[in-house]
Amino acid sequence: MQGALPGQAPFHRGCFPQGYRTKPWRIFQLSGFGKPEDENARIKFLLEHGETGFLMEHDRNTADHLYNSDHPDVIARREDVGQTGAVMQSVREVAMCLDGIPIESTYGHAGGAVVQHAPFALAAYWTVARRRGIDLARLGGTGQSDFFLTYLGCVTKQQVPTAAGLRLNADIIEFCGEHLPLWVPVSIAGYNGGDTGLNAYQELGAVMANAIEYLDEVRRRGRMDMTAACYRVGGVNFRTTMDIFEDASKLRAARKMWYHLLTERYGITDERALRMRLHIVTSGAMMTYQQPLNNIVRGTLMALSAVLGGTQSLGVSGYDEAISVPSEHAHQMSLRIQQILQHETNLSAVADPLGGSYYIEALTAELEKRGWEFADDIAKRGGFLATLDSGWLHARARDNQVSEEQAQNDGRRTVVGVTDFHGDTTPFEVDGFPGVNDAYEVARERLAAVRRERHEGGATAALKRLEIVCKSTENIMPAMLDALEAEVTLGEVGEVFRQTWGDWQTPELV
Amino acid sequence: MSDAPRILLVKTSLDGHWRGLSVVARALRDGGFHVIMGGMLTGAEIVRAAVDEDVDLVGLNIGGHVQVVERVIGELRAARPELPIFAGGVLPPSSCKRLAALGVETYPPGSSLEDIVTAARRLTSKATASNG
Repeated sequence: MQGALPGQAPFHRGCFPQGYRTKPWRIFQLSGFGKPEDENARIKFLLEHGETGFLMEHDRNTADHLYNSDHPDVIARREDVGQTGAVMQSVREVAMCLDGIPIESTYGHAGGAVVQHAPFALAAYWTVARRRGIDLARLGGTGQSDFFLTYLGCVTKQQVPTAAGLRLNADIIEFCGEHLPLWVPVSIAGYNGGDTGLNAYQELGAVMANAIEYLDEVRRRGRMDMTAACYRVGGVNFRTTMDIFEDASKLRAARKMWYHLLTERYGITDERALRMRLHIVTSGAMMTYQQPLNNIVRGTLMALSAVLGGTQSLGVSGYDEAISVPSEHAHQMSLRIQQILQHETNLSAVADPLGGSYYIEALTAELEKRGWEFADDIAKRGGFLATLDSGWLHARARDNQVSEEQAQNDGRRTVVGVTDFHGDTTPFEVDGFPGVNDAYEVARERLAAVRRERHEGGATAALKRLEIVCKSTENIMPAMLDALEAEVTLGEVGEVFRQTWGDWQTPELV
Repeated sequence: MSDAPRILLVKTSLDGHWRGLSVVARALRDGGFHVIMGGMLTGAEIVRAAVDEDVDLVGLNIGGHVQVVERVIGELRAARPELPIFAGGVLPPSSCKRLAALGVETYPPGSSLEDIVTAARRLTSKATASNG
């Protein structure tokens, strides 16, 4: 691993020679709750206070399941609606969420973390852009569409099988290749594997195994140049935890593994495509319920690890993470942590400041070695999708969940305020963020208004067209855009998906 | 058939995170309980599962609003007034207080597994005694 400088292949020392001297990392925080206008206000608050990109969260109850707000399963839990993201069942609601935000000049994340939701979330965002007269070819931004979240960490009640999910992601990647050259279409989120229980090398290996599924599928379909495909899939999300040196090394190993995967498996030579760009989110699982202000320190240390590892963008979990979605104050603290690291410290002065340390180089090499072994193990079991379908990957996460709990129970792992050092003297009562109490009612009214006011014949025809395309091998994105333009709603898209592909047979999780 | 006390574990919300539930289920099984995983259920479905499975205790995994949980508790109490209930998951301190007022013990993040298993033993032994 000797010899390479930052910005040189195999890039373990960083993507660019100057590191943060030429480009600071993007301050990029998850945000969302309530009605679209509530989420809009929070996004504006964050941008005003120094965020340099924004992320939209969609309501978990409706979006993750592709249910409208009048679905019986949503009605039964109506007070939950809007707790973890804004309810957006139509382009109208996405437009409200983006109102007054200059998306032509601000890097946005359209949401769509869950795979089956991504085509809707992206098409809705792009429809809003088109209506504003923005040329999609010049629109930058990203989505997520992550298998780790969807099929490993946060398993919904009803969702399309993994094979259908792979098709949707390949459709999005190809569509962006043709129409949105500045858009990062999918973001593999090892984060969600890590917070579910995968350890550092398992996270690395599983991310590579996931990338292989996407890239092999795009290659098999043969509609897209592989260099372009590799570039698009190269925006990846990892987590950092309290293991500062291991996590910084993990990010170094990730870039090197990416370089080897792309050169050796896909024969890529273009340097731009060979650089893995990282988005890091500090682990939510590390944030404690007890003595929540301590989490400001934890967030800072995990952010430090991400910066030492050379991330391109960063989200710091709120200090109230274990209690609720972030309050305005917790969100502001996450920004301030990043701003202090960027402006008050000299962390940005040098690229890969840990490079050359015996410990860091040894850890990086070890993580790479074990990461490949884990990726090979997945390959032997039929690949990433097969290990999700069989529950093998869930079992690996579960083993670690249990051993981590045991370590905490028998005193081998100390968590301040949880296992030791109890008793909190604080003038602050942190009860989390209560959200708003009218998200459900307003969502029902807006859904009714769309149905009342849209051109019903146009919507029905567009939905029918979407159904036909889903059953074919055609790319679904043009039909999805047409459907959203015709005011087809989230739940109707869900019905088409469910009819076409049925439900994923969830493996035994527990 | 085993005479181990029977616990039904369910999610009241549509939030699919399962890590906390998994760790608790494992600890309860290791503690000698027969654990039935119900998945994401509505109040009516939870009542049906509790009756069909003839459980001694219901554990609610919370990832949503406390009002939903209160409604589920009301439905369970209407059908099986004597059945003990405990709850864990994402529960702000104010929600813990509201559930405590309904006689439901709460175990927010960071609770020790030992405490949860001890509570399950206490709650199921009471249930057996009052049934007996």
